[in-house]
Amino acid sequence: MDTTIKQSLKEIVGAENFTDSLIDLIAYSKDASEHRHRPDAAVWPVNTGQVSAIMKLASREKLPIVPRGAGTSLAGLAVPEQGGIILDLGRMDKIIDINIEDRLAVVQPGVVYADLDRALSPHGFFFPPDPASGSVCTLGGNVATNAGGIKGAKYGTTKDYVLALEVVLPDGRILHTGSKCMKSVSGYDLTRLFVGSEGTLGVVTEITFKINPKPPLVSTSMANFETLEDAGRAVSEIMYSGIIPSALEVIDQQTLIAINQNTDLNLPEVEALLVAETDGYTREETEFQMAKIVSIFKKNNATTTRQADSKEEAEALWTARKSAYGVLARINNNLIVEDLAVPMSKVPDMLRAISELSKKHNLRIPTVGHAGDGNLHPVICFDGTNADEVKRVEEASAELFEKVIELGGTLTGEHGIGLAKVPFMGLEHDEISMDIMRSIKRLFDPNNILNPRKMGLEE
Amino acid sequence: MEGKYEFEKKFRDQVLRCSSCGFCRAVCPVFGLTKRPALNARGKMLILKEVMDGNVDLNDELIETLFQCTNCTSCTAQCPSGVDPPEIIKQVRKDMVHTGSCHPAFEGMNQVLQEHTNIYAEDEPEDFERERNRKAEYVFFIGCVGAYREDEATMATLDLLDHLDVDYTMINEVCCSGVLEDVGFQINQDLAQKNVDLVLSTGAKTVITGCPYCARTFNNKVQYQTLKDKGVEIIHISQFLKDFDLGVKTDKVVTYHDPCDLGRHCGIYEEPRQIIRKIAPNFVELRHNRANALCCGAGGGVRGAYPKNSIDMARRRLEEVEEIGAEIVLTECNSCVHNLKNAKLRAQKFEIFTTTQFLNQLLEEAG
Repeated sequence: MDTTIKQSLKEIVGAENFTDSLIDLIAYSKDASEHRHRPDAAVWPVNTGQVSAIMKLASREKLPIVPRGAGTSLAGLAVPEQGGIILDLGRMDKIIDINIEDRLAVVQPGVVYADLDRALSPHGFFFPPDPASGSVCTLGGNVATNAGGIKGAKYGTTKDYVLALEVVLPDGRILHTGSKCMKSVSGYDLTRLFVGSEGTLGVVTEITFKINPKPPLVSTSMANFETLEDAGRAVSEIMYSGIIPSALEVIDQQTLIAINQNTDLNLPEVEALLVAETDGYTREETEFQMAKIVSIFKKNNATTTRQADSKEEAEALWTARKSAYGVLARINNNLIVEDLAVPMSKVPDMLRAISELSKKHNLRIPTVGHAGDGNLHPVICFDGTNADEVKRVEEASAELFEKVIELGGTLTGEHGIGLAKVPFMGLEHDEISMDIMRSIKRLFDPNNILNPRKMGLEE
Repeated sequence: MEGKYEFEKKFRDQVLRCSSCGFCRAVCPVFGLTKRPALNARGKMLILKEVMDGNVDLNDELIETLFQCTNCTSCTAQCPSGVDPPEIIKQVRKDMVHTGSCHPAFEGMNQVLQEHTNIYAEDEPEDFERERNRKAEYVFFIGCVGAYREDEATMATLDLLDHLDVDYTMINEVCCSGVLEDVGFQINQDLAQKNVDLVLSTGAKTVITGCPYCARTFNNKVQYQTLKDKGVEIIHISQFLKDFDLGVKTDKVVTYHDPCDLGRHCGIYEEPRQIIRKIAPNFVELRHNRANALCCGAGGGVRGAYPKNSIDMARRRLEEVEEIGAEIVLTECNSCVHNLKNAKLRAQKFEIFTTTQFLNQLLEEAG
């Protein structure tokens, strides 16, 4: 990169907020996916004005800009595939306002999810989408990926909570979308367009979230099923029973085996284990809902069901689900956390298909997921230094997504397309929808400088 | 695969196992302060992967990150993949020293311990007004920070031991030199041998250390194995004091900072709390405590090499003290006390002590 460009960047953000040191370029070359490419430089802007100035410069010089939060993307959203400049928003980390009267929180994009949660907690409020990476992921990243979490079935995902945005456009103009009102149908919904746009249309510099009162009580239970089909029927029946659990998670047999190999939990190695949670304001309310869920578990041949009588017991029941990532991450050197979603009635078919793919390609693909909204995470564990295995992973992935689409599902429930799913975009989106998406991209970013090569938008 | 460097032979699998999830960002004190991913464990592991791939050599360009780790092991405690970055980094530092890339402060530390008997290169040891090297049941081993920087805390500890009629002696101790292993060098065999000989000559069966790092070194390093072979037990003062009931109390709001060397490194979380709960009914935990405790920023040679960041990390820890409105911060490590005290702002009205110093103060007040 030209030294005069570097000098201009230093003038915009200050020398202390610019880097082209080798250590930084390597650290910014990767996120939590398997993709890797170094940027040419990185900057840490501290206000919207600086982001705007950077975008003007980038537009003029046609420099790729990759906005980045905590870099926890599992799909390569934050990898600078074409080099260019990493725009690390981690130093724009102020909670600007918490307004309980209007049920709003206004934040900068670099605020960590857990920090907002901690700030809302004394007021009895929360921001419900709770991604597994909540202790580190940033809210700007949550908006860019439209992040979800285990509470999706009842509380929705990030998009359901974003009321307004401040966005710096690729040409440097500062756009304000939405409204701080709970309801607004004034003009096109530009806010929704940016949520989940993976940093390809603009750089979000301020977010206004709607926040929810947090029900103080929960009931928790766990059930084992000998067959995927029984578990799947239980999930489906729960979701149309009139009860909406605040969480309904599934753990498959391969995951249970892996957990047992690495912990003292001693779980039954059945085909599927379900963990359910109901929330509310009175014990009667949470227990009423849970009683219904447990009866559905039993009706669908659950071999055992356990209900927690205390907070500690509830935590113990959650341990299996929450330890899954740590256990799976130790199986082999590399892992790809896939993120498909299918209609809820198709969850057992999908789990069966994953199990068959695993056998066919001789790969370990333990699967966990948010059964309550049909969002599954097959975790492909492999050794990236083994070329033959890498090839089998690629083949299995392709077949996996063909199956997903065949079942009426979608490529990604909450992680995004990024780089990882670019090859499969055509499976889900026809030429018309790709054409419209590309037109939108061109409208906002005619020079294709913002997070290029992501989402399969390039022709 | 044969690597070019020693760390590859020992830790190749672990470096590869880092899945780049980035969860270490939540706990790394250096990252928390700087918000610079290159200084976080994930950044360090990515850099080492590039070294193993042959894209980058271990050289001076990497000093700023690989020599800026406090060895607090909070990343290890949180890592879903079971990677232990500080252990890897310690080996990498040795490799870097071997190839001629070292932070000057670390080189200086090694040099000082070649020529002097303590890390501060002080030639006149504090005598603490007590006879040394006599026959006794216990040896009290102070450690460099307690001997040369936090001598008031040490004096208070000795007064407390006297009050409890403990039959102890001090020795003409020299630096345990364990820290050299962390900053790219090896324990100084001569210094270690001197400590071992002096301890054995007292006939003591137990060494009580004022410094948790010294206790770790004595317990874990081969240069001190003779002590164990001869049946000498090494404990930290908090382990020794946990069963005493001194009958004193304070009304003040008290909190406890878990030193990394005692907590995550030795798993000692309860003993200090056992002591404090007896004297302080108004005990409040810091937001990050026990295995999740935030490092004071002094360890791993960082205080010497990156003093500004080290103090700023301590300031972040003290912000948590303000959060809970504590009046007294207790800890069990002189090095933490030293760094936290240096970082304390004038407007912050709480006081910082070692637990033993505070205990002794309460006893003196009670007359």
